[in-house]
Amino acid sequence: MILTGSEITNQVKKGKIIISPFNDGQVNPNSYNYRLGNEMICFDVKKDKKVSRKIKIPAKGFILSPHKVYLASTYEILGSTKYAMSLIGRSSIGRLGLFLQVSANLGHTGSIHKWTLELVSTKKFKIYPNMIIGQITFWTNKGDISLYKESYSKYNCPKKSKLEEEC
Amino acid sequence: MILSGKEIQKQVNKGRIILTPFNEENITTNSYDLTLGNSYIKYTGKIIDPAKENKYVVKKISKKGLLLKKGDFVLGHSIETLGSEHYVPIIHARSGIARVGLFVHVTSDLIDIGSIGNVTFQLYATLPIKIYPSMPIGQVSFWVPKGKIKLYKGKYQNSVGPRASEVHKDFAEKNLIKKTN
Repeated sequence: MILTGSEITNQVKKGKIIISPFNDGQVNPNSYNYRLGNEMICFDVKKDKKVSRKIKIPAKGFILSPHKVYLASTYEILGSTKYAMSLIGRSSIGRLGLFLQVSANLGHTGSIHKWTLELVSTKKFKIYPNMIIGQITFWTNKGDISLYKESYSKYNCPKKSKLEEEC
Repeated sequence: MILSGKEIQKQVNKGRIILTPFNEENITTNSYDLTLGNSYIKYTGKIIDPAKENKYVVKKISKKGLLLKKGDFVLGHSIETLGSEHYVPIIHARSGIARVGLFVHVTSDLIDIGSIGNVTFQLYATLPIKIYPSMPIGQVSFWVPKGKIKLYKGKYQNSVGPRASEVHKDFAEKNLIKKTN
């Protein structure tokens, strides 16, 4: 079952859902709107080799090039020890052609941190730090829960794939 | 919990799910197939800026079809008016559409409970593809909510045809962060 906005607020009060900072105005009928953090990793290909650099998104905005992946993160710490999550985009931003993740929407129960976002734009797109950019939904579990303890959940900044370290 | 196709049909009969026009043949095991309407929106500016109004044109998809080139992004819409005050709709591509490299939404699959209208498809082609009016392009599934329901009252309510983003209208106000530290 998917939690309603009122239930998300209830569970935040009970401590079963962590949203920090929490703002009533960002609660939707079935989700919570999250903001964009101000750090980002950009990738370039130089002589067939991928190189990455970290940047701060300036207050006046940063223009994403189309069809490229950028790693950013949520401004809020988001997670739950009771519910599974789905990190998705908002319709207002999807209507402008900005992907928030690359088909990896599932947030595991127990994972509580600033989530890495995989930004891909279909056109040149201006992003601003702290803008409301996506939404997260919360889902009830069925069955015993073994909490997520994998290493990505330790990170509160955009985190590159571990696969890159392996190859 | 996700509704089965049979349950979707029951809930349509009871008026608890709106799917108009309704066609039994569009019911699948766990969803309802959505068909493409004949108008679309294309943004005309070089840079999309969510803080400002982004200019666009509305065009028709002729019966001969519309060729989307690799990398094209346009907004289409469902012929169907859909929504529910009891279940949460989620939009998906049909697998046959995904297999030809066409996205029907850009990571925004969720429809708020209480939102009623034509769905705006966010069409992004990763390969050249021709789209036709009335073709089955997407599907909608329905999910059981938990908790007190507050219905959607947002700016896209009662959408007819494709609707461009209106995020610029409240961008400045909504994106303000109250400095507490």
